[in-house]
Amino acid sequence: MKKLTVLMLIFVLAIGCLTACSQPATEAESDLAYVQDKGALVVGITDFAPMDYKDESGKWIGFDADMATAFAEYLGVEVEFMEIEWDNKIMELDSKALDCVWNGMTLTDEVLNSMECSNAYCDNAQVVVVPVAEADKYQDIDSVSALNFAVESGSAGEIAVNDLGYPCTAVQSQSSALMEVAAGTADACVIDLLMAGAMIGEGTSYPDLTHTVALNSEKYGVGFRKGSDLAAELNKFFAEYYADGSMLELAKTYGVQESVIAQ
Amino acid sequence: MSVLEVKNISKSFGETEVLKDVGFTLEKGEVIAIIGSSGSGKTTLLRCLNFLETPDGGQIIVNGETLFDASNRTLCSETDIRKNRLHFGLVFQSFNLFPQYTALGNVKLAGELLAKQRDDYKEQRRQILQDIEEKACELLRQVGLSDKMHLYPHQLSGGQQQRVAIARALALAPDVLCFDEPTSALDPELTGEVLKVIRSLAEKNTTMVIVTHEMQFARDVADKVVFMDDGVVVEAGTPEQVFGNPQQERTIRFLERYSEQ
Amino acid sequence: MFQTVMASLNEGFLKTLEIFVLTLLGAFPLGLIICFGSTSQFRLLKYPVKLIVWCVRGTPLMLQLLIIYYGPGLILGNNWWGNGSSGRFTAAIVAFIINYACYFSEIYRGGIEGVPKGQYEAGQVLGMTKSQIFFKVIFLQVIKRIIPPMGNEIITLVKDTSLARVIAVYEIIWSGQAFIKSSGLIWPLFFTGVYYLLFSGILTLLLGRLEKKLEFFRV
Repeated sequence: MKKLTVLMLIFVLAIGCLTACSQPATEAESDLAYVQDKGALVVGITDFAPMDYKDESGKWIGFDADMATAFAEYLGVEVEFMEIEWDNKIMELDSKALDCVWNGMTLTDEVLNSMECSNAYCDNAQVVVVPVAEADKYQDIDSVSALNFAVESGSAGEIAVNDLGYPCTAVQSQSSALMEVAAGTADACVIDLLMAGAMIGEGTSYPDLTHTVALNSEKYGVGFRKGSDLAAELNKFFAEYYADGSMLELAKTYGVQESVIAQ
Repeated sequence: MSVLEVKNISKSFGETEVLKDVGFTLEKGEVIAIIGSSGSGKTTLLRCLNFLETPDGGQIIVNGETLFDASNRTLCSETDIRKNRLHFGLVFQSFNLFPQYTALGNVKLAGELLAKQRDDYKEQRRQILQDIEEKACELLRQVGLSDKMHLYPHQLSGGQQQRVAIARALALAPDVLCFDEPTSALDPELTGEVLKVIRSLAEKNTTMVIVTHEMQFARDVADKVVFMDDGVVVEAGTPEQVFGNPQQERTIRFLERYSEQ
Repeated sequence: MFQTVMASLNEGFLKTLEIFVLTLLGAFPLGLIICFGSTSQFRLLKYPVKLIVWCVRGTPLMLQLLIIYYGPGLILGNNWWGNGSSGRFTAAIVAFIINYACYFSEIYRGGIEGVPKGQYEAGQVLGMTKSQIFFKVIFLQVIKRIIPPMGNEIITLVKDTSLARVIAVYEIIWSGQAFIKSSGLIWPLFFTGVYYLLFSGILTLLLGRLEKKLEFFRV
């Protein structure tokens, strides 16, 4: 029995060491070469209209998806979209299961620290969602201070609420946060403005919800593996794509032209 | 020539010496009863005979053929042991019938498996299986269970189960049939039917080694009685000698304890 | 809309079913091998196997899925599962098989150790070989003993398949949840429960029937 205990201890320590050693190694070789070599750019997304969503034939479209396709073309490779569990995005990148995440991602400090990010290309805001019936009461930041918020764990919304020092519960996704409000288990939630536009109001499962205050404004960017040279490559592409007017034209297709940031 | 000669068997489990220099002989058609208190080594001796334990010393000789010799381990391969076991049958204290087979199935199983090794099994299959079945039915009739052949063990009483076990042990026609306290796990009212079957076997001159606590039964049915204590044979002789005129102090005390109960 | 949802849920359920069937096909035999390893007399085999079983049973399946899929890429710098959904599916199956094989091995062990020693000895004194004793005497008794605990694990597996979504294997819960994000519909997610109930109901019936089949004897 004693031997077994010692064995277990050694094993736990060994796992600890292994985990400690597995901090993402800085890529010595070029990520650009790696992607061009295998001939495909694997883009991590979630179903997030109007940035990434499926058309009737099941093809991924949206402002982000179309731009990712154009970027892959610019690199001379195929584009592959992979719907992922958003919490795992950094592991997905570091384990090379993905090459980038391009999904209306807010550039927070955490994101900038853990990924190699492109320049910002789109503006966004975090908005408070409340039942329509009570919307009148909550039209400025001070009025919502006593509400019990639901936010997506690790999202820009959570950071915004925490910065204000308001009480909040972190849930698995923005859609779970909405469900909390609809079910009455939370007074309000904080989600992306672009997402709120698509998911609440008439014709959805949440016709009785609406968004009111914007807590902060923020910017969207594209994330790559830490140290990747693809981020710089994308910035070059953005510059060209904006300069010839393609980016604005695409933005108009999806109704986000007012949010586009000049490159 | 004796059917069975057991010479100088000794066996230890770790530090404990369970059998010390035990020996006896058995002639064809004889019944030997081994008596003694629990922990005296009787059951271990029986298990040695059936190769469920390997003795540390001594020899086991059947019909003049040495089956086991502690000084010559070449006889101990698994195939040899399996062949040697067929000279013996063993009836367990707790029956150990196979629960998923009927009474008939239990009696037939070993014979059917053994028959598969015969060269003529393929051509004669039907005939061989029929013979085995007839033999098994006959054995079950002998133990008085003709009408219970197709019942499963859990549908039988303890006494009936033990009688099936006896038929099963007889199915391969062993030279020596061993009993390990065959009635100890039975309710008192059920021991009679089992003892009756063993008695009838003795009348048919079946060679048997019986480890038992039933003193009256041992006295009636045995040709020889061996009294064991603390791993050694204390006294051996005819029932009249051992029960009627014991010579050793330990035998006298043991028998006194029994008659008091 | 209803038809779109049903088509999508059916597709997700097919994936759930694939995970379920492949896991059982792999875990039944692997569990037996692990069981022989953990009950082996050979210490160099026994203790490592026991260590693995302890690790697998002592950590959540969700964590194992993450480690098995992301581990090679993160630790060895080589994502050997490849990109795309087939790699994810393979990794999920591997994780499920290992996890369930370890649980099954313990069930097998209990079943085998539960058969009284006298059953082996009765076979031995009748001159039967080791394999004859195992297949003709022990095997069916073990099966009868393990069906109830095995049934519990199998029903648990039905529900555990939903964990595959953490590495983006699109099983039925994923399909149901997708409608919340894309169309703001909640009911498809809740409706997946009907699939689970029907499926586990059918399995319960089948297991009950098997149990009944072995009722002719008692152990």
